Amino acid sequence: MEAVNPYYPIPIKIKEIIPETHNISTFILEGMPIQFKAGQFAELTVPGVGEAPFTPSSSPYADDMEFTIMKVGRVTGGLFELKKGDLVGVRGPFGKAYPLKDFKGKEIFIVGGGVGFAPLRSLFLALVHNIKDYKKVYIRYGARTPDDLVYWKLIPKWQKINGVDIDLTVDIGDDFWEGKVGVVTVLLDDIPVDLDKAPAFVCGPPLMMKFVTQRLVEAGFQHRNIYLSMEKNMSCGIGKCNHCRVGKFYVCKDGPVLTWDDVKDIEEPFL
Amino acid sequence: MRLYLLPSNNIKNFVKKLAQDGSVYYPIFEDDKTHLIKFTEDKEFEPNFEKIRTAENIKHFFFPSRDVVAKFPKDSKVKAEKQYLFGIKSCDLRGIEVYDRIFIKTEPVDPMYKERREKTIIISADCPEPADCCFCNLVGVSPYGAGTCDINVTKVSAGLLCEVFTKFGEQVISKHKDLFEEAGKEAPKEREKTRKDALTELGKINSKPFKEDIAERIEKAGKETMQDAQKDCVECFACLYACPTCYCFLLSDYKKGKNIERVRTWDACYYAAYARVGGGANPRSDLVERFWNRFLCKFNYFNEYEGFFACSGCGRCYRGCSAKIDIREILWKL
Ligand SMILES: Cc1cc2nc3c(=O)[nH]c(=O)nc-3n(C[C@H](O)[C@H](O)[C@H](O)COP(=O)(O)OP(=O)(O)OC[C@H]3O[C@@H](n4cnc5c(N)ncnc54)[C@H](O)[C@@H]3O)c2cc1C
Ligand code: SF4
Ligand code: SF4
Ligand code: SF4
Ligand code: FES
Repeated sequence: MEAVNPYYPIPIKIKEIIPETHNISTFILEGMPIQFKAGQFAELTVPGVGEAPFTPSSSPYADDMEFTIMKVGRVTGGLFELKKGDLVGVRGPFGKAYPLKDFKGKEIFIVGGGVGFAPLRSLFLALVHNIKDYKKVYIRYGARTPDDLVYWKLIPKWQKINGVDIDLTVDIGDDFWEGKVGVVTVLLDDIPVDLDKAPAFVCGPPLMMKFVTQRLVEAGFQHRNIYLSMEKNMSCGIGKCNHCRVGKFYVCKDGPVLTWDDVKDIEEPFL
Repeated sequence: MRLYLLPSNNIKNFVKKLAQDGSVYYPIFEDDKTHLIKFTEDKEFEPNFEKIRTAENIKHFFFPSRDVVAKFPKDSKVKAEKQYLFGIKSCDLRGIEVYDRIFIKTEPVDPMYKERREKTIIISADCPEPADCCFCNLVGVSPYGAGTCDINVTKVSAGLLCEVFTKFGEQVISKHKDLFEEAGKEAPKEREKTRKDALTELGKINSKPFKEDIAERIEKAGKETMQDAQKDCVECFACLYACPTCYCFLLSDYKKGKNIERVRTWDACYYAAYARVGGGANPRSDLVERFWNRFLCKFNYFNEYEGFFACSGCGRCYRGCSAKIDIREILWKL
């Protein structure tokens, strides 16, 4: 069989752009250029600017692929210049999927910080797709201010789903905010799950990852049940260029989600 | 494996014949250094099969320093020309084996590397005169081709004693069989002696082996030890660009008319920006962490996956280093 070119991104148009916050938007593509499973990621090409790794924020079962992206630099900056109808490229899927079938019948504990909630959304939507398979799905999500919360329009709908429990916090409140105030760990004082069995999922900025993981370990989650999204520099996405190395792992291939068991001996794994 | 003799008088003729269906690169020795040059009829043909590996890294024959790996929105295929690498050394075969593992033997296959690799016939040559920088014997590489090549040649008094390793090698010889003779008894005996001498010489250059558990020792080395090893490094990156086993690369996109070219360039883990992520966090912001990473990469991580070191003992890093840092010295001390 002729080998396909793993460096070639599939061209696809942007169907819609939904602003989430002042620097985060959700980019909806015209269809599913690649079939992915929850946990896997893709490389998104901004033509002429370059590419960067992102985890789809849409359900693996959806018709269109979506990415929720924060503008932080060159590639993301280029992406925010694009309009509906413009062409982008998608390569993937890369990395390992979550072992969803191992989670059947269990409580699921998801902790997101800032734009780090985006990659967890595809996991959440995949769980919701078969919500009866799981005992309960908890989401604990924190952002800097109420204006920095992503999916604020969707969250009230998700809260109504049977078997879903969502709690939010912001570092700094405003006149209209009635929820909790404080960094995301304030949502972790009381963790109402069977710590022996429940898997936990964490994604967010490095410091948030560090403190949340610490808290989950203290609380008593099994180390191998703490799933951590590792944000590392990536280029090829296919385990060849070496950029994403963390210890003996290629994060693009062995990850992008590793467990605390995998990384606990590494000095500053989240940096 | 089958042996043949290519008499001295026929070497040029053989190369001339090979050049009819591809580019032939062969070693010359000039100003105290070996270089691989392309055969052309008008050039004086003065090959040298005895001196050590070329000064330059040879990885660009398969893995160029700049390579267009994809076009967007419409891709096109790479087509490589047939090439013969004649007279490269065993340490560089280790390098090719490293790339084979990364680019072909690990999924997904890299189509550019594979295309060039499949179009290349490798005729390696023994290394009877190891130099002070060489330490192949410390990393499990013999000073003669014992695999990864199609044919290996040994300089003997009557010419080149050829050992065939692959069916491609066999095809090359049978196509030009009028130029080859039976190996006889003398030439193999001579080969045995030069090989023994080379190994003895290497044993003298590097009398101390690396410790059995060198991989773990590197992992446990700690920043202080590495700080000491790295203190003279001026971050010129010569060691990594000259290295025939380093495989790091970076993809970047460039506009070309209406299309976009995705270009792959060699990269090196000593660059401060190498591991930086969006937003600015950097897991290896200090040089000592990057310096350490190179040793981990070559002697620990790669070894864990593939069962051998991503180092060939060629000594190019030492020869090219602005600070004359010798990785052997660092490894011996661990
Ligand atoms: C698996 C995975 C999933 C992700 N999912 C998401 C997601 O869902 N949503 C999201 O918003 N983000 C996500 N990210 C993060 C996202 O990949 C980064 O934000 C993105 O790569 C930033 O690219 P940029 O070019 O805009 O940023 P830059 O900061 O411009 O670029 C970062 C890259 O460019 C290089 N670079 C650029 N400028 C410099 C400089 N001055 N000095 C040194 N190096 C420089 C760095 O080496 C680095 O590779 C994910 C990351 C990973 C690994
Ligand atoms: S690390 Fe040095 S000795 Fe080892 S293969 Fe690279 S250049 Fe050669
Ligand atoms: S990580 Fe460093 S040592 Fe390893 S291949 Fe890349 S440049 Fe070479
Ligand atoms: S060649 Fe020497 S000075 Fe240059 S980066 Fe390598 S170790 Fe440092
Ligand atoms: S991104 Fe290239 S090896 Fe992981």
